[in-house]
Amino acid sequence: MQNRGEEELYKKLHILADAAKYDVACTSSGVSRRGQKGFLGNSCASGICHSFASDGRCISLLKVLQTNHCIYDCKYCLNRTSNDVERTSFTPEELCSLTIEFYKRNYIEGLFLSSGVDRSPAYTMEQMCRSLRLLRSRYHFRGYIHVKAVPGAPEELLTEAGYLADRMSINLELPTAEGMKRLAPNKNHTAILRPMGMVARTIAAHRLALGKDERMERSRGNLYLENSIFSSEQQKKVSVQTPALLQESGTKELYLPADLKKSTEGRSFAAAGQSTQMIIGATDETDYHLLKTTQYLYQKYDLKRVFFSAYVPLNEDTQLPQPGTPVPLLREHRLYQADWLLRYYGFQADELLSADQPNFHEQLDPKCDWALRHLGQFPVEVNQASYDMLLRIPGIGPKSAMRIVYARKNGRVDFDHLKRMGVLLKRAHYFITCQGRMLYPVKLEEKSIFRQMTDLNRKDNWQISRQQSFYQLSLFDDFGVR
Amino acid sequence: MTVFTCRDNWEDILTCIYEAWASGKGHRNIRLELEPVSQQELFCEYIHIDAEEQKAMKVCSAIRKKISWQAYQWVYYAAHSARPEKTECIYRFLILGFHFGKKITEMLTENTVMRIMELSRRVTNEEHIMREAARFTCHERGIYVCHIEPEHDILLMLAEYFEDRMPSETWMITDDGRRTAVIHPKDQRMYQTVLTEKEWEQLQETERIKDIYTTLWNEFFHTIGIRERENRKCQNTMMPLHYRKHMTEFM
Repeated sequence: MQNRGEEELYKKLHILADAAKYDVACTSSGVSRRGQKGFLGNSCASGICHSFASDGRCISLLKVLQTNHCIYDCKYCLNRTSNDVERTSFTPEELCSLTIEFYKRNYIEGLFLSSGVDRSPAYTMEQMCRSLRLLRSRYHFRGYIHVKAVPGAPEELLTEAGYLADRMSINLELPTAEGMKRLAPNKNHTAILRPMGMVARTIAAHRLALGKDERMERSRGNLYLENSIFSSEQQKKVSVQTPALLQESGTKELYLPADLKKSTEGRSFAAAGQSTQMIIGATDETDYHLLKTTQYLYQKYDLKRVFFSAYVPLNEDTQLPQPGTPVPLLREHRLYQADWLLRYYGFQADELLSADQPNFHEQLDPKCDWALRHLGQFPVEVNQASYDMLLRIPGIGPKSAMRIVYARKNGRVDFDHLKRMGVLLKRAHYFITCQGRMLYPVKLEEKSIFRQMTDLNRKDNWQISRQQSFYQLSLFDDFGVR
Repeated sequence: MTVFTCRDNWEDILTCIYEAWASGKGHRNIRLELEPVSQQELFCEYIHIDAEEQKAMKVCSAIRKKISWQAYQWVYYAAHSARPEKTECIYRFLILGFHFGKKITEMLTENTVMRIMELSRRVTNEEHIMREAARFTCHERGIYVCHIEPEHDILLMLAEYFEDRMPSETWMITDDGRRTAVIHPKDQRMYQTVLTEKEWEQLQETERIKDIYTTLWNEFFHTIGIRERENRKCQNTMMPLHYRKHMTEFM
């Protein structure tokens, strides 16, 4: 470090990255944009992860806060106003030079900008917009930008942020209004859902204006699935079964600036869509409730992604799990698995869980669990099954299912082909036949398959749930001495 | 048996395929091999083929017109694989391809088709990982230098990606294993060269350049992981050790 300015930047980066690390959603996917002479950067729809941190999560964007000053007192948050932590903020110039220089060295795919609420939502959003405006106009940045919208900020600022960024997100934080009231006294669902609805409608309006379908692109396989949550049949049902807790007040506004061409310079509004995140394990919702909410958000607000963040106990509070409580990592993992099943495999939340079975199986992933509960539909003949049935077989994914559908037009598929196409036979072989035969003689019986499958997964699951390898035994908690 | 041999190069391989096809000896009586040929067989005639641009172009356009764009892509990627059997595989694939037309890329039950799919998949996967794991260091006068050491010959594909990404910067990417480099002057077309011994030695030092941003990046990288969720095994799965050799944060 040569001078004081650099030292200060170093310190700021440490504080503001440290404060931002609990935010999930570090993805750079959803939008394709070619580079341009005189500008820096492009964007790739598949997303690019540049590195993986010590916790195994990907680093795709420079994930920092604009500031960690905060007037709110959300109980679960490290930056709440009642915590005594070192506070600082980036100037827009510092943020821009960090992004640009990191980008040129190929460390990152773009910027993920979030913020604590400094002074007021309006002031905070104004600061964030200034940074983004500078980055796009003076620094000619064409890479990916993900910006958090601060609920309660004025519409003009949210509009501008939408035109500058590729993806916008507003954190739902907690799936129930009651949990929200308890843990985040300064926030409420109405204030969060209103901008979310407006962003969704504005994105749809822009897509229509560009001649695209009003709904976001989904994985191609969804085109062939009748019952996926994105099919038009299912979309119609949504308005009927709105969870009462997530009712949005009936507004129909859009974010459209007065002079569209001039203020946006031809950029479209949040081209990579909108996302949100929920905290898992701080309150006592069931997985069923979380998954229903997720499905609802996909259908109603056409969100591109819903993220889950396992609650890491940081603050001591009577309302929250004690510091030192294990992080519910396996639960988070199961929710993501189920999320994929909704978006890529044509499952519905109600098929995976129900009021009688409100939580995911600890030892089995949701897809295997579903298959075991519906053994009557198996074994499936790979050479004849429909695409959506192929997708429901554990061990077969969208890519291999598509390969099977193509390949069997020209010849019979056998187990060796399946293996080379990328099918995971160690899971799939219980559920399929090729040309009338199973790979090994398997008794189609729930208990025996369950025993064999859990033995396969046991090691993985044990590791996910017990990552804290050292654990201090406590007389009071562990042995019930009071 | 007649064996057609050629150097490991896109144009050489295509010309070799052209000559083998045009020889009229019958597909069963010929084989294609990559040089250097490790052990010559008795009762085989070895014919060396040199690249000829026109013939190579003919093969290219024939694949695109008579088979499909996807088949062309598969052949292109497979030809850049590090596997020595690739020329023979491509030849066998094309025989089927010209017979069946564009549906050939769906015929995965055919062994030759599956082989090409697997070869091209390996190459594209490595290219994607390199897009993620390539790291530039900033040399004096704002020249950005990147070192990679890929298994397959993906330098040019990778450079095309970066040409789109950073059109108005001066940068170069060197393939340390093959000692080739792509150089991209600011706002101009890039070009590929073979590095001399002296150039290569000089470039070795560029990887160790440290400035404020490498320090900041290391700091960011170590701060962003959550201690309560530490999971080195997951990190190792996602970022295999052999790609870390040239990555700033793991040096």
